Amino acid sequence: MGEIRLENVSKSFGDFQAVNNVSLTIKDGELFSFLGPSGCGKTTILRMIAGFEVPSSGRIFIENQDITDIPPYKRQVNTIFQNYSLFPHMTIFENVAFGLRIKKIAEKEIQNQVFEMLRLVQMFDHKDKYPNQISGGQKQRIAIARALINKPKVLLLDEPVAALDLKLRQRMIIELMNIHDLVGITFIYVTHDQGEAMSVSDRMAIINKGQIVQTGLPDDIYERPNSIFSAYFIGDTNLIPGEVIGIEDDFIEVQTELEQDGERLVLDSSCHAKVDKGAKITLSLRPEKIAISRQKPDVKSDFNIIKGKIEDILYLGTHTQYIVRVGEYRFRVFNQHKRVYFDDMALDWEESVYLFWHDIDSYVIQEQDMSLNGGLNNSE
Amino acid sequence: MNNEQKHEKKKNIYSWILSLPAMSWLIFFFLIPYIIIFIYSFYQADIYDIKAILTLDAYKNVFSPEYFRSFFISFRLALITTFLCFLLGYPAAYLIARSSEKIKNTLLVLIIIPFWTNFIIRIFSWRIFLSPEGILNNALIYFNLIDTPLMLIRNDFAVILVMVYVYLPYMILPLYSNIEKMDFTLLDAAMDLGASPKKTFFKITLPLSKDGILAGSILVFIPALGAYIIPQLVGSQDSLYIGQIITYKIKNIPRNWPLASALSLMLLILISALMVLFYTLHIKFKERMIVKDEDEK
Repeated sequence: MGEIRLENVSKSFGDFQAVNNVSLTIKDGELFSFLGPSGCGKTTILRMIAGFEVPSSGRIFIENQDITDIPPYKRQVNTIFQNYSLFPHMTIFENVAFGLRIKKIAEKEIQNQVFEMLRLVQMFDHKDKYPNQISGGQKQRIAIARALINKPKVLLLDEPVAALDLKLRQRMIIELMNIHDLVGITFIYVTHDQGEAMSVSDRMAIINKGQIVQTGLPDDIYERPNSIFSAYFIGDTNLIPGEVIGIEDDFIEVQTELEQDGERLVLDSSCHAKVDKGAKITLSLRPEKIAISRQKPDVKSDFNIIKGKIEDILYLGTHTQYIVRVGEYRFRVFNQHKRVYFDDMALDWEESVYLFWHDIDSYVIQEQDMSLNGGLNNSE
Repeated sequence: MNNEQKHEKKKNIYSWILSLPAMSWLIFFFLIPYIIIFIYSFYQADIYDIKAILTLDAYKNVFSPEYFRSFFISFRLALITTFLCFLLGYPAAYLIARSSEKIKNTLLVLIIIPFWTNFIIRIFSWRIFLSPEGILNNALIYFNLIDTPLMLIRNDFAVILVMVYVYLPYMILPLYSNIEKMDFTLLDAAMDLGASPKKTFFKITLPLSKDGILAGSILVFIPALGAYIIPQLVGSQDSLYIGQIITYKIKNIPRNWPLASALSLMLLILISALMVLFYTLHIKFKERMIVKDEDEK
């Protein structure tokens, strides 16, 4: 039904290439996210699907029908705008009825459908109010009702919860997912918030500089980033540049740029891809995968163990983040507060500690970017 | 009296002092002259000035068909001028509001430039331009489009043309400032919901620029209603507008100052009534939202 296909879609504004040769298929009924930093072109992609922008080149299809040149008001696509864009001079009822009135549907039928829609989003009691009299979360529900009443094949959501505060945002995300399950049409969701994207999406695409960096399931992208950008943009990570010096059956040996006791540190890592000896790679190591302890841990040989010094401790409620210095490099380590922890409790600034992790917990990225310094210096 | 009250009182005194210059200006040059006009309207006319005898003669004359006709054509002129200014001004204001910052400023300056030339000189320019021996007629004859000069001035056409020319900026500027503040994503939203550009304009753009239309219309309509100079310089002497009638009664012998005063007051009442009407219609809409808002709390 609502399958969307982008074929080599590009868009430039003057000299600026906003979207660069994007090809992608979004399946019918999927909740698909475009995730990327601001200015990466994700909103432009959305606006091209909605019809507000015409691609400079490439075609866009809905259910195999080429819609590239169809104006927005003739597309079976509706949009939830970032600030909801409710019509301020109309009541909630009239806002929701707008699309039906344009289609010149009989008054009785309009009323039935609007009432039904308002009940679906639990806003029936507010039907006679004006948009400036309802809260942000309520506005969003009306925006959803106003869009869904037109029975679109695809619903586009442009940062739909960005204008709300944290608690409400979490609730509205769950509501959105429920509505998606209920109506079953394709949702395309644009956001710069990785947590939001991971929690709502069936699949998602990471966008950078107008191009798709990686497409996949949220956990796939998190655990198996295909590039430094993916690893770095989704969640926190330690990016350790190095060179492959040994290839074994189920792991590789990586000589890193890190120094310890005057020697270059060698780490073991499992490797999913085929790499050659001497290849320049980057290890992505998520902070929550690293364990920290004062005593030298008694673990098997398939663990990496390194020594470091605690430089900073950030208590964050659910977990504590330690910044641990190893030579010139700073590791970021998360320690979840889910057990009684006698040992860590006493950890203090400038204390020497051991960091250790299993070699399957790091992931090999086959590119290097020396400017990042483990993603720590640049990320904040 | 606590500190807060003292502070409030002090603030009140300051605001009175600050508004004093404007207040005295309005009192001396607006309120007092109107009081004088009000008193004059009850005196008896004399061919040169007035006799200090109280009478209602002026008001008996005010309602004669002659003056009613003047009011009527003035009203009609003001309506036509306002409507044409709106028709011409709206697209211009919209274009300026949606232009890039640089073009926007250039266009705004172009709108304001005519104000740098004296009002009377601009009207005389039109007279020269439109007169039977003027540039326009000469050009039309030169290109063999006409044989004899067209009578382009001394008629209502010329009055309306020059009125629209003079008052157009007063329509464009408030419309521009209103449209510029409009949230243009609302237009995207309307199109997204299936409205064609035409429907979007009539259902969203136009209703949302209501405040600007109202402000612009008031700024054009009110001075147009009392127009004097323009009809005097380019209009016909067969149909006199109310502004002209009032001037003649003051200036031309036999004079009739009480009648001129009464007519002025009638004009003032008419304008005030219209203002109150506009304003209440305008407020009503806004209040409806606010009152409902308070009901909730």
